[in-house]
Amino acid sequence: MTDNAIRSARPSKIMQYLRRAALIRESWVGSIGLGIIVFWVAMALLAPLLAPFPPNAQYVPFMAPGFNLPPTGTFWLGTDHLGRDILSRLMWGARTVLFYAPLATFCAYAVGILMGLAAGYKRGWIDDVLSRSADVILSFPILVLYVVIITTFGASGINIVLAVTFASAPGIMRIVRGLVLDLRNRDYVAAAQTRGESSLYIMFVEILPNARGPLIVDACLRVGYVIITIGVLGFLGLGLPPPDPDWGGMVNETRGMAMSFPHMTIFPCIAISSLVLGFNLLADGLREVSLRD
Amino acid sequence: MTKKTTDGLHSYIPRLAEQLGQGRVGRRDFLRTAALLGVSSTVAYGLADKIMGTSSAALAQSATPKKGGTLRVSMNVKEISDPAIYDWSEKGNIGRHIVESLTQVGSDNVTRPHLAESWDASDDLKTWTFRLRKGVKWSNGDDFIADDVVFNFERWLDPATGSSNLGRFSSMTVEEGGKKKMAPNAIERVDAHTVRFNLQTADIALPESMGDYPALIVHRNFTKQGGNLAENPVGTSPFALKNFRVGETAVFERREGAYWGGEVYLDGIQYVDHGDDHSAWLAAIASNQVDLLYRLIAQNVPAIKQMPQLQMYETVTGQTGVARMKVDQKPFDDIRVRQAIQACIDHGRLLEIAYQGFGVPGEDHHVSPVHPEYAKIPAMTQDYDKARKLLAEAGHGNGLDLTIDCVAQPAWEPNTCLALAEMLKPAGINLKVNILPGGTYWDRWTTTPFGFTSWTHRPLGVQVLNLAYRSGVAWNESSYANPEFDKLLDDAMGVLDPTKRKEKMVPVQKLLQQDAVIIQPYWRSIFTVANKKVKGFEIQPAEEMHLNKVWLDA
Amino acid sequence: MVIFLAKRVGYMLLTMLVVSILLFLLLEVNGESVAVKVLGPYTSIEQRNIWLENNGYFRPLYVRYFDWLFGIATGDFGQSIRFKAPVSDILWDRLGNTAILGAATYAIMVPVSLTLGVLAGMKEGSALDRTISLTSIGTTSVPEFASAVLLAFIFVFTLGWLPGTSAMSGGFDPVQLILPVLVLFLYGFGYLVRMTRASMAEVMQTPYIRTAILKGLPYRQVILRHALRNALIAPFTVIMLQINWLLSGVIVVEFFFAYKGFGALLLEASLNQDIYMIQACAMVAVFVAVTTQTIADIGYTYLNPRIRLGG
Repeated sequence: MTDNAIRSARPSKIMQYLRRAALIRESWVGSIGLGIIVFWVAMALLAPLLAPFPPNAQYVPFMAPGFNLPPTGTFWLGTDHLGRDILSRLMWGARTVLFYAPLATFCAYAVGILMGLAAGYKRGWIDDVLSRSADVILSFPILVLYVVIITTFGASGINIVLAVTFASAPGIMRIVRGLVLDLRNRDYVAAAQTRGESSLYIMFVEILPNARGPLIVDACLRVGYVIITIGVLGFLGLGLPPPDPDWGGMVNETRGMAMSFPHMTIFPCIAISSLVLGFNLLADGLREVSLRD
Repeated sequence: MTKKTTDGLHSYIPRLAEQLGQGRVGRRDFLRTAALLGVSSTVAYGLADKIMGTSSAALAQSATPKKGGTLRVSMNVKEISDPAIYDWSEKGNIGRHIVESLTQVGSDNVTRPHLAESWDASDDLKTWTFRLRKGVKWSNGDDFIADDVVFNFERWLDPATGSSNLGRFSSMTVEEGGKKKMAPNAIERVDAHTVRFNLQTADIALPESMGDYPALIVHRNFTKQGGNLAENPVGTSPFALKNFRVGETAVFERREGAYWGGEVYLDGIQYVDHGDDHSAWLAAIASNQVDLLYRLIAQNVPAIKQMPQLQMYETVTGQTGVARMKVDQKPFDDIRVRQAIQACIDHGRLLEIAYQGFGVPGEDHHVSPVHPEYAKIPAMTQDYDKARKLLAEAGHGNGLDLTIDCVAQPAWEPNTCLALAEMLKPAGINLKVNILPGGTYWDRWTTTPFGFTSWTHRPLGVQVLNLAYRSGVAWNESSYANPEFDKLLDDAMGVLDPTKRKEKMVPVQKLLQQDAVIIQPYWRSIFTVANKKVKGFEIQPAEEMHLNKVWLDA
Repeated sequence: MVIFLAKRVGYMLLTMLVVSILLFLLLEVNGESVAVKVLGPYTSIEQRNIWLENNGYFRPLYVRYFDWLFGIATGDFGQSIRFKAPVSDILWDRLGNTAILGAATYAIMVPVSLTLGVLAGMKEGSALDRTISLTSIGTTSVPEFASAVLLAFIFVFTLGWLPGTSAMSGGFDPVQLILPVLVLFLYGFGYLVRMTRASMAEVMQTPYIRTAILKGLPYRQVILRHALRNALIAPFTVIMLQINWLLSGVIVVEFFFAYKGFGALLLEASLNQDIYMIQACAMVAVFVAVTTQTIADIGYTYLNPRIRLGG
C-alpha cells in the first residue's frame, strides 16, 4: 500500500464511521440513552427560546407546579424559594452542565490521550515517569482530591474543569496505554515504521483511530460521572457560584424545604439522574453494538 | 454622688413611672429602663402593674414543673476554652452552663441582675456600683466574691488577652500610643461583694454589655489553673460538664447541692453537633433525635408547621444584615451612587422574597423598632427615575457593574443579595453576587468595597451605631467617618429618658439614612423549635439558651 | 514471591512519599499564610512572626518537610485549627466510625451484588440478565445526594419510620445506619454487579465450563464448583478498589446525615482551611487507598493461576 492509497481511502472511512454510529439504532437501550441526551441538549441550546421566564427573575416563592400568575404566565414546574421558575432554571441549568461536563471530559481526554500514547508507544523512562505519576494521582480517592483542590483554589467553572482534568487524565492514560501496548505490535504499525513515518504520525494516524472503540464507551461513562461530580460539588456548596442555575446547587439550596415543597428539590434531582442515565445507557448500547462486530 | 430617693430607687424612677402612667412610655420601655437603673425585676413589674392595673402573675406558668430528664439540643459544639475570647453565641451557650454573667438579657429584651444582685449609676452615668449576690458558690467550693469580678475585668481590658470586651467596655479604657488599655482606677473593689466602675465616658449600656456572652465570669484562679474552661470547668452554674468533644457533643449533668438561682429541673443537657447543614437539624428534630434546636432557619418554618408534636418559637429582633458600601472606595465614594442604589430598593419586597416576610422592613439606619429609642422617621421608597438620574449625574449613565461579597451560609444572606441584584437591574446596575465560604468571607468583611454583613441583636439601638458607624472604630466596616454623626450619637447616648432619647435619635437616624451608607433590607425574626414536651423555654433575641428553668413533661 | 511482594510494598511507600511531598507543597510552602490560618486574620505581623519562629517555620523548606514527615510517621499530625485539639485525637475516632459505616455497606453490597451479578452472567441476554443490568445502570445514575434527598423525604418526613440524622449522640444505634448504608449501597452496587456479570459471562464461555456442561454434570454443580471460583477473581479486585470509591462516597453521605465520620471531617477541615487536619485526612485516605490497591494486586495474582509472578 502506498501513501496515496491510504489517503484516498479516507472519505470512505468517514462514511464507515457514520454507518457505525448509526448502528446504535440496533440497541434499544442505547437509543433511549441517546434520546435522553438529545432531549437535554435541545433544552440547553433552545433555552433562550423555550424557557418561559428569565432564569433568575423572581416572582412568587414556593408555588406548586402548574401555578398560574396572570398575566405573567404559568409555572409548569412551580417556583423555588426565591420565586424563580423551576422549569426555566432547569433549562438554563442544562446549559451549564452540558457545557462544563463535556468540556472537562474533553480536556481530560486530550491530556490523557497524549500521556497514554507517549507512555505506550515510546515506553522507556517516559512510560515509567508517566505511569508512576498516574499511580500517585489515582491513589487519591477522587472526591477527596476534588474537595481539596476546589477549597484550596476556589470554586469556579474553570477550576472545576482543571480539577476534573487533573483527576481523570491519569485514568484515561492507563486505558490508552493499555490499548497502545496491544496495537503497537500490529502489522500496519510495523508497515508505517518501515515506511519511515514519524512517531507522531504513527501515534495519531495509525494507532489512535484503531483504539477509538473502547475510548468512546469510556468517554460516555466519564461524562456521566463528571455530571455527577459537578452536581456533588454544587450540593456540597463548592460548585459554580450562584445565581446562575446549576442543578446540584438547586438541590442544595432547596433540600431543607423538601418536606413542605418537594417539587423544588425533586425536579433537579430527576434532571441530573436522567441525564446521567442517558450517558450510561448510551455507553451500554455502544458496548453492545461494538461487541457484535 | 448617687442620688437616691427615700425608697432606695434611682432618682429617675418616679419620673419614669409618671410617664408610664401618662402612656408616654410603653410598659416594655419602663421595665427596661427600670432594670437598667438597678431596680430588681420583681419591683419593676410590681410598679408597672400598680400603674397600669395589669397582673404579671397571670403570665406565670400554670403547670407545676416536673423534675428530671435530659434535654437534647442540636447546636454546633465549638471550642470553649476561654470565655473572654468567645466569638460565637454557640460558644457562649455552652460556656453559660458552667460560668455565668453579672447580668442577663431575658427573652423580653430586658436586662436583669444575675450574679450581680443590683446596681446603681450616678446621674452622669459615669460611676456604676454593682452589688454582687451573696452566697454564690463556685463548683470547687470557693465563695463568689468581688475579686473574681475584678480579675475578669482586668483580664478583659488587657490587650494581650485579645478579648472583644476591650471594645465592649471601652468606657473603662484610655488610649496610649495608639493602643487601648485599662484606665487607672477604672475597676474598684469596694468590699467583698461590691465593685465600682469609674468610667471615662458615660455608658448607658453597661448592664447590657455585662450580659453579653464574652462577659461570662470565670474563677479568679482561672489563668493560674490552666486557663482552659473545657479541661477545668470551675463555675457557678447549676450544671457540670461531663463530656465535651468539639464538633460532636457537650454533655452536662446537674450538680449536687443548692443553686443560688433556686430549683433547676433538668437532670442534664446534651448538645449534639449536626454540622452546618440546616437540613440535618430539621431532620434531627423531626425524627425526635433532639428536643430543641438552637436555631430554625426561616426557610424551614413551613416544614415545622406540618409536624404536630413540635412547638415553634418566634421573636422579632435586632438581628439584621446590611449591604454596606465602603464610602472611601470607588465608586461608593460618590454619594450619588449610594443614593441611586438606595432608590432602587423596595425593602418590603426584599423581606418577602428573601426571608418569607418574617420580620420588619428596614429603613437603612440600623435602629430597630424593637429598640427602646427607635424613632419613627419616613422610610425610603423605591424610585427608579431618581436612581437613573443620580447615576447619570455621577457619570454612570451607561450602566454600572458592581460586585457584592457575601457569605454562603446562612442562606438568607446570599438570597437577600440575589434579590437585591434583581432589584438593581432596572436602573442599569449589574450586580454580581460573589458568594464565599465563611472563612474566606470573614477574612475580608471589613475591607471589601461592597459587602453583605449580618449583625446580631443588641438590646439598645445606640450600641450598634456606636460599634459600626462611629469614625474609626474597629468594626466600622463602611469606613463611614462623619464628625456630625459622632456628635449627634454622643448626644443621644447621654440621655436616659426614652422619649427624650427618641427625639435625639431622629437626626442620628436621618443622617445615616440620607448618607446611604447601608442598604438594610429588613429586621429578621428568629425562630427555634422544640418538642411540645419541653416546657418553660423562651426564645431569646440573641439566641442565648437559658435552660435553668426549663423542664420536661414526660 | 518475596521479590514481588517487596516490589509492591516498595511502590506503595514511594507513592505515599510523593503524595506527602505534594500535599506539603500545596498547603505549607507559604509559612505566612499558614500563620494567618492558624492565628486568624486579625492578628498582627509580630504575632505571626512569633508564631512562625516558635513553630520552626523559618527553617529551610526541606528541614520542615522532613520534620513534618517524621511527625506523621510517628502519628503526630499537629494541632487542629478548627477543633483546638491534636489532630490524632479526632481523626482515629472518625476513621473508626467510617469503618463501621463502610463495613455495614459492604456487608450488604457484596453478597447482593455478587448474587445478582452471577445470576445475570449465567445466562447472558436472558430476561433476568436484562432486568438486573438495567436496574444496576439505573441506580448508578442517581447521584448519592439525590437518593439521600428522596429517601429522607420518604422515610423520615413522610412515613416517619427512620431517624433523619446519624450523629449517634446517644451511643451507637444501628437504626441510624440504615439510611446512610442504603444510599451508599444504591449508588455503589450497580458497578459491582456489572463487573461480576461480565466476569461470570466470560467464564461461562470458556471451553472448560462448556465441556463440564456437555459432560452432563448438573448445572448447579458446574456453577457452584467450577464457574464461581474463576468468576469471582475479578470482582475480588473490584471490591478492594471500591474501598477507594467508598472514601469518596462517604463525604456526601456523612455530610447529609450528620454522621461523625472521616468524610464529614475532611469536608469540614477543607471548608475551614484547617490545614493540618486536611493533610492528615488526605494522607490517611491515600494510605487506605494505596494499601487496598496493593492487597488487590497481590490477591489477584495469588488467586489467578494464569498470571505469572513478575520478576
